[in-house]
Amino acid sequence: MTTRLNRLLVPAVLVVAVLILPRLVTSNYWMNLINLSISLAVACLGLNIVLGYAGQLSLAQAAFWGVGAYTSAILTTQFGLPVWAGMFAAFFVAAFFGILLGIPTLKLSGHYLAMATIGFGIILQLILVNAIWLTKGSDGITQIPSPWIGSFELKAPGDFYYVAAVSLILFTWGAIHLKDSRVGRALMAIRENEMAAGTAGVDTTYYKILAFTLSAGYAGFGGWLFAHSCSHYISPDTFSFEQSVIMLVMAVLGGNGSAIGSIVGATLLTLLPEMLRFLKDSYMMFYAAGIVAIMIFMPSGIAGLVKSMPVSLRLRAWWNAGSTAARQVASAAAARENSGGKPNAFSIEDCTGSGEVLLSVKGLAKHFGGLKAVDGVDMEVRRGEIQALIGPNGSGKTTILNMLSGLYVPTSGEIALDGAVVTGQKPHVITAHGVARTFQNIRLFGELTVLDNVLIGQHSRSKAGLVAGIFRPGSQRTEEAALRLKALEALEFVGLRGKEFAEAKSLPYGRQRVLELARALVSDPKLLLLDEPAAGLNAAETEALVELLFQIRDRGITILLVEHDMSLVMNVSDHITVLNFGKKIAEGSADEVEHNQEVIDAYLGMEVATEVSNDA
Amino acid sequence: MMLDVKEIETWYGAIQALKGISLDVNQGEIVSLLGANGAGKSTTIKTITGLLAPAKGRIEFMGQVITGKEPEDIAEIGIACVPEGRRIFPGLTVLDNLMLGATPRENAPQADIQKDLGRVYEIFPQLKESRKRLGWTLSGGQQQMLAIGRGLMSGSKLLLLDEPSLGLAPVLVQEVFRVIKEINGMGTTILLVEQNARMALLITHRGFVLETGKVMLTDTAANLLSNEEMKAHYLGAHAHVKEARQRRRSERGRV
Amino acid sequence: MDWSTNLQMIAAGLAMGSIYALVALGFVLIFNAVNVVNFAQGEFAMVPAFVTVWLMSSLNIPFALTCVIAVIFMGIFGIVFQRIAYYPLRHRSFLPVVISTIGVGIFLKNGAQIIFGAEPLSMPRPTSATALKMLGVFVDPQYVVVILCTLALLGFQYFFFEKTMLGKKMLATAQDKEMARLLGIPVAKMIAITFAYSSILGAAAGILVGPIFFVTKDMGAMLGLKAFCSAILGGFGSVPGAIMGGIFLGVIEVFASYYISSAYRDAFAFIILILVLLLRPQGFFGEKIAEKA
Repeated sequence: MTTRLNRLLVPAVLVVAVLILPRLVTSNYWMNLINLSISLAVACLGLNIVLGYAGQLSLAQAAFWGVGAYTSAILTTQFGLPVWAGMFAAFFVAAFFGILLGIPTLKLSGHYLAMATIGFGIILQLILVNAIWLTKGSDGITQIPSPWIGSFELKAPGDFYYVAAVSLILFTWGAIHLKDSRVGRALMAIRENEMAAGTAGVDTTYYKILAFTLSAGYAGFGGWLFAHSCSHYISPDTFSFEQSVIMLVMAVLGGNGSAIGSIVGATLLTLLPEMLRFLKDSYMMFYAAGIVAIMIFMPSGIAGLVKSMPVSLRLRAWWNAGSTAARQVASAAAARENSGGKPNAFSIEDCTGSGEVLLSVKGLAKHFGGLKAVDGVDMEVRRGEIQALIGPNGSGKTTILNMLSGLYVPTSGEIALDGAVVTGQKPHVITAHGVARTFQNIRLFGELTVLDNVLIGQHSRSKAGLVAGIFRPGSQRTEEAALRLKALEALEFVGLRGKEFAEAKSLPYGRQRVLELARALVSDPKLLLLDEPAAGLNAAETEALVELLFQIRDRGITILLVEHDMSLVMNVSDHITVLNFGKKIAEGSADEVEHNQEVIDAYLGMEVATEVSNDA
Repeated sequence: MMLDVKEIETWYGAIQALKGISLDVNQGEIVSLLGANGAGKSTTIKTITGLLAPAKGRIEFMGQVITGKEPEDIAEIGIACVPEGRRIFPGLTVLDNLMLGATPRENAPQADIQKDLGRVYEIFPQLKESRKRLGWTLSGGQQQMLAIGRGLMSGSKLLLLDEPSLGLAPVLVQEVFRVIKEINGMGTTILLVEQNARMALLITHRGFVLETGKVMLTDTAANLLSNEEMKAHYLGAHAHVKEARQRRRSERGRV
Repeated sequence: MDWSTNLQMIAAGLAMGSIYALVALGFVLIFNAVNVVNFAQGEFAMVPAFVTVWLMSSLNIPFALTCVIAVIFMGIFGIVFQRIAYYPLRHRSFLPVVISTIGVGIFLKNGAQIIFGAEPLSMPRPTSATALKMLGVFVDPQYVVVILCTLALLGFQYFFFEKTMLGKKMLATAQDKEMARLLGIPVAKMIAITFAYSSILGAAAGILVGPIFFVTKDMGAMLGLKAFCSAILGGFGSVPGAIMGGIFLGVIEVFASYYISSAYRDAFAFIILILVLLLRPQGFFGEKIAEKA
């Protein structure tokens, strides 16, 4: 109970401190600067959502800031609407432009995405300059009104401050809640590993657009704050590419991914130039040199620096101990002690091998230009069996797995799962149908915790959306608790108990493999695709893996695995399919395949005639 | 002894890929490095060529310690490498690729380099025909020939070949191994990494078999070819695995 | 159709396009060598432009010698730049490097302002101001100089990469760094030379474009962005692509701003960019790259 109260105390203190600030700051000049900082901070919070959470580099944030400012300025000066109406308009119009940017740039990433956003921002600015009939062009819009509360005009900077401060608190609260919700986890999964996010059940298209939309909306609101305070004047010059760069630097300085960090970065980089006025013209050079130095020496920004300080580590531990997640983990651990330590309710389907066909593959082919990676393969996987797909390097095994999980669209052929045709569907759709997979080169969400990795695995089996994630009604909290419970049981099952809050990439290699398995299991798959699950494992770890595979099969999940470790394959498989040069050359039980001459020649390269006769 | 590798341990981040590998290659030999996927064969080659630095251990070449040296220096000292996946320069011509192979001795008299180029063309007549073609237009087999030819151009005494038969059709594989034997006959010592154990052992003098980062077995090629454990290793028919299979079969019979 | 106007515009478009091509080439060479997009590439043209103006106007150094000095200066500049902005970050993901190069760009811009003042400067013309009559049309001789110099430079570059061993080594480094090392090619040196050459291309662009417009601290920004558009248009990573993209963009820009709208002149590059990214992201000559599962 005490930890819970402590958790409420800290934000309460912060809120009070924020609200009494105007009492301490008497100069209008500094108050204006603080209002400007807040307006930029809200925009940076938005940038933090699209870049820090979702990992999409957007250099158009100042343009959305401008859209918000102009929308409200035009509505209030030319159409006489009340300022509060302008506030809603600013948010939603900017958000709409965010959708306009998000849709065409879906397939882009890295430099291409950055360039597209730059281009978008520059075009928007040019429109602001040239659509004189609407925006008054380079002259800008003057005499932008202040908001009224009843009969009280919030004209003085110290009065407007309360609007700004309360907005900032609300938007920050929203961003922090978002991060720790199903939607936030989906965004971070995209950032960490977009491919794995898709196969874990996240609709990457939808969430990327959502990130752009939300971040543009935040920026638009920040623009509203800017327009109706400070000098009550806006002009297109302010909303330039350079300003987008400044916002980027603010967000990165604060610490990519940290909401509080964005606020710190924005405030610091707005107030600092004032304090450094004595440097005059060379200020920008110091600023620029500082940017380069930060990138070299402090790439995780201020938040990263603070995080690694021992004082803050203890503070965080104390803070996290009070979180709902931590309390649930602790009570689950206690319950386990009492019940004797066996993972209980973690079950998938209960039907054991009924022998009917679960996955049917007909004439599957994948051509990359002239290369026929897979050249007409027919396969069947029966419910409840463990089937292995083997063959020399380049025989097409991983390509088949990629088509089965939706990462590649087949050139021809058909894939049917449990009667439903899933050929060419997107990964998250196939996951919803009941297919889960692991990857050859482990694709975990490295910077996220072990627990979060497994929670994301349940994305397709949960439904809390954006609004629920921010406002956390009872139904959302219940869902989160249930997701955590299942995640904990999955972790128990694979032997990762006690590691829930460790960073996924900090785990040793063997544990990482097993974590990926847990993430796949919690999506309630009918079919589990494993790509070289034993790669890099030592003998003991491989034996443990074999045991796990049998237990998974016993709980009703069918397994198709690609593997090179022949002792694993022979030991574990009920049925083996052998590929070579993109075609199936043999299939059957372990014994049959082991003695098939074509298989021996193509794959194994060893004369085993003598051994065969000795065996019989 | 030309190449002496002693107890090297190499890590990939948190994973220990090599747990104390020792091997040696004598002048004039073809030595094979065998083992299943992921056993550490390529990691060993990368450690010898300097792309990876071992955490422990020592590598000596012709009496000179080369542990931890940069790849550029090791190339100059006289070890040439034909890495896995051929890795010819796709945007450069066949001739360019070959001439770049002579970089470690670019200060040697042009006549010598031209002589070696002629020798390469003799071994690989197809390369002479296609010398003006760009690398990416060649077939897999031709690229492999080019990669080997490029390795020969360095005039190096020791040639490391990493999985030269990978992804090639069987008839081309035979051709590659014939060429390797021919090169060895002309005086180049070879350390050969291969997954296709049978073909490799047919031309090798001695072999080292790796398994999960350690040398499990080393012997002459003839002995390895008839070795029971070798056969078992590649087919998973280890005794204990067979037992486990019998057990499961009878279990299922009961259910 | 007023043919003489159109011909003049073609000349202007080719000239501007050549400038874009030179800067775009600088981008692409660096990108191919070290997988980094240099957001300060525009400043690689701005800095030598200022240096040229200073040498000619303040020190009265003749044009030919000025060019030599500017080229040597930029060569050294490129190597220093690589050491500060790229080398410490060479193992990091792309975001720190992007921000770092942006930072250097801002540093250079403001440094130029402090040293040379905020007023736009005019670069003395190496050519006369009288229009030349070519093909029955009056053309600014500077345009002709730009086109000819660019062709000469491209010719030299072609010879360098196609016929010299050093050029081959640089291409090899760009195509497969690790393999180049295995062959004994000193990769670090090749990268330094790439940056130096890319800066020299910037010098050419800055010196050639200076007399056409004013030399200002902001000239690099738009130039860099549009050159980046050109590179993407042509297929990012392709050398002929960068050249074709630059020329194509230069010509389109001139015609579009005359026939459609001159106020939105700067927007056309980005509109085309977004269209290309939507419809054919690999550009004219580029190749589709897919991530391996």
